[in-house]
Amino acid sequence: MSANTYDAIVVGSGISGGWAAKELTEKGLKTIMLERGRNIEHVKDYVNANKAPWEFPHRGGRTQKMIEDYPVLKRDYPLNETNLDYWASDKDSPYTEIKRFDWFRGYHVGGRSLMWGRQSYRWADVDFEANLKDGIAVDWPIRYADVAPWYSYAEKFAGISGNRDGLPILPDGDFMPPMEMNVVEKDVSKRLKEYYKEARHMIIGRTANITVPHNNRTNCQYRNKCWLGCPFGAYFSTQSATLPAAMATGNLTVRPWSIVTKILYDKDTKKAKGVEILDAETNQTYEYFAKVVFLNASTFNSTWIMMNSATDIWPDGLGSSSGELGHNVMDHHLNVGASGRIEGYEDKYYFGRRANGFYIPRYRNLNGEKRDYIRGFGYQGAASREGWSRDIAEMNIGGGFKDALTEPGSWQLGMGGFGETLPYHENKITLDKTKKDKWGLPVLAFDAELKENELKMRIEIEKDAKEMLEAMGAKDVKSHSDNPFLGRGIHEMGTARMGRDPKTSVLNKWNQVWDAKNVFVTDGSFMTSAACQNPSLTYMAMTARAANYAVDALKKKEI
Amino acid sequence: MNRRTVIKNLALIIGGAAILPSCMQEKGKASIGLKNINIDADQEKLIGDMAETIIPKTTTPGAKDLQLHLFVLKMVDDCCTKKDQQDFITGMGQFTDLVKKQNNRSFSDCDAKQREEILLAIDKDRKDPKSTTYPPELKTFYNLVKGQTVNGYTTSKYFMTKQVVYELVPGRYNAFYPVKKQAV
Repeated sequence: MSANTYDAIVVGSGISGGWAAKELTEKGLKTIMLERGRNIEHVKDYVNANKAPWEFPHRGGRTQKMIEDYPVLKRDYPLNETNLDYWASDKDSPYTEIKRFDWFRGYHVGGRSLMWGRQSYRWADVDFEANLKDGIAVDWPIRYADVAPWYSYAEKFAGISGNRDGLPILPDGDFMPPMEMNVVEKDVSKRLKEYYKEARHMIIGRTANITVPHNNRTNCQYRNKCWLGCPFGAYFSTQSATLPAAMATGNLTVRPWSIVTKILYDKDTKKAKGVEILDAETNQTYEYFAKVVFLNASTFNSTWIMMNSATDIWPDGLGSSSGELGHNVMDHHLNVGASGRIEGYEDKYYFGRRANGFYIPRYRNLNGEKRDYIRGFGYQGAASREGWSRDIAEMNIGGGFKDALTEPGSWQLGMGGFGETLPYHENKITLDKTKKDKWGLPVLAFDAELKENELKMRIEIEKDAKEMLEAMGAKDVKSHSDNPFLGRGIHEMGTARMGRDPKTSVLNKWNQVWDAKNVFVTDGSFMTSAACQNPSLTYMAMTARAANYAVDALKKKEI
Repeated sequence: MNRRTVIKNLALIIGGAAILPSCMQEKGKASIGLKNINIDADQEKLIGDMAETIIPKTTTPGAKDLQLHLFVLKMVDDCCTKKDQQDFITGMGQFTDLVKKQNNRSFSDCDAKQREEILLAIDKDRKDPKSTTYPPELKTFYNLVKGQTVNGYTTSKYFMTKQVVYELVPGRYNAFYPVKKQAV
């Protein structure tokens, strides 16, 4: 076995890449994980995690220099001085926007598993059946029953806290004890249930923050500083969970600074024999060989690799024979919701910073209801007391104002929608060979947008949010709907969808590329539709499922 | 990849500024290094007196004790757009002239009560966005001084440890925490 030969190659080290590495190494495969960016070592490299708010020179804000350096990241909340190091450089890695697409990336070991929102929800049968029932795109080749045991498997290892709410639209999982709603959330959730006669529910968020010690990880300490990296390992990340498990097998090699530029495709065997990488520090090219390749480079980047591979056989790249590679770009659309003031409860507060909120699962277009759009949306939000920095009307300056700043403000209740985006063939990414990144590699061009179905849904998300807040007793309710652009959900999906037919899909039901059976794509690229739940738990489950299948197939010499 | 170093250095500069003894100040210059705005010692004193009027020393430390005026300058210098920085400087000039005209003396020569009246008048006027009592640059200047003074105060170590209870590691979530009248 040459030095560059392994049993398996995993491209990428984020949520799905970490899972692939864990599963493959635990099943005995010598595996190399290739990560395009730098290493971030658990705890040691979380340089800002133990800083107090006053230790940040701009108190966590953004400077003009940062705004200049990050023309994409500046478009929304991720640009801030507390975890700037975790976001990919927009200047080193540019892309082309035929239509605006907000692409917020993490190029380092752990990827966005370090900065993710951690909300973890199962899909239900209604989600997997949706394309078939609506007659759009292609049918998922799997159903809830195919994924359910893998959801359990993923939840048990990752550690998902949540309540068993018994809602058919949002199947219960193998949860750790839930976090607690605060006093206002508890009351308004009861009002919501009564007002809508149990047709709508507000539940505590199901989150990948552990609430009891688990696998040498400390339970959540209620710091709400997750996206700085957790010194307690209390939320699921590659570093806190899958990487230590994979390393413990003795079968894993991690190579940072490795940009995979293509899959090496062998036309005789019709399989991949390995990958080519560009060392991001030295610009040297290397080849790595393996029996199986898992693409987990993140949605769009996995597709980018395929577009650059086997172009002598398929001009548009490996997996393009169906004509669907790069198509069906999806995300969840958000930035639409409402907030209001809850009167009373002045003698009640909460202590600790809960890294979680409430969730209102989808209730639209179910049980025979038909709106003027298809599919649905959920809401995430929280009740909290306004901080000390609020403006106090009567006392504008001086000693009285100073004292008033120490008193908590009124209770606010706010929530925002997460809407399903449909898979449209014309929403696509392509290679832009006229533009090069820092390493001289062609970049992606985005040509995708929200369409009529999403825009109609947004009107209802805003209207419903306002109506529900008022039903829950909120005063001065204000709704908002801004920036109807893709990308901002940071839930990129599609461009290498699964399906039942190689003529209309890139992957089969085991996440295998139809055109190269030993290449598996298990990051968000494989998604055939988007549902409205946060997608990462589904990537975890599907990655474990695919890895299990891949190892079986290797043993049976099927791949 | 030197970004982290840069941030660390920034922290160092600020940390350094905070402990730099005032006697080392070059006469006429601001006591902290600023890259984008020119502030002289008199202007720094003006911001300090304004910040002290907004958050005065009472039985507890005030803006000057906590060096909030330096925080205001730092934020304006690093985080404001060029336009806001220009308006800040222009507005500061307008403010200085207006105070002189109305009171026959500079803001710093006014007594505490006069200072409070001057700022209160501007503060109340802010509530009516259409008001033309004060030029827009002066309003921008005042908004920045007040906003960043309050921001600096409520995120200061003093405030977060002595006035409210900030724990880096709460370790628990209490969903029913009673509020005592005097939060300590």
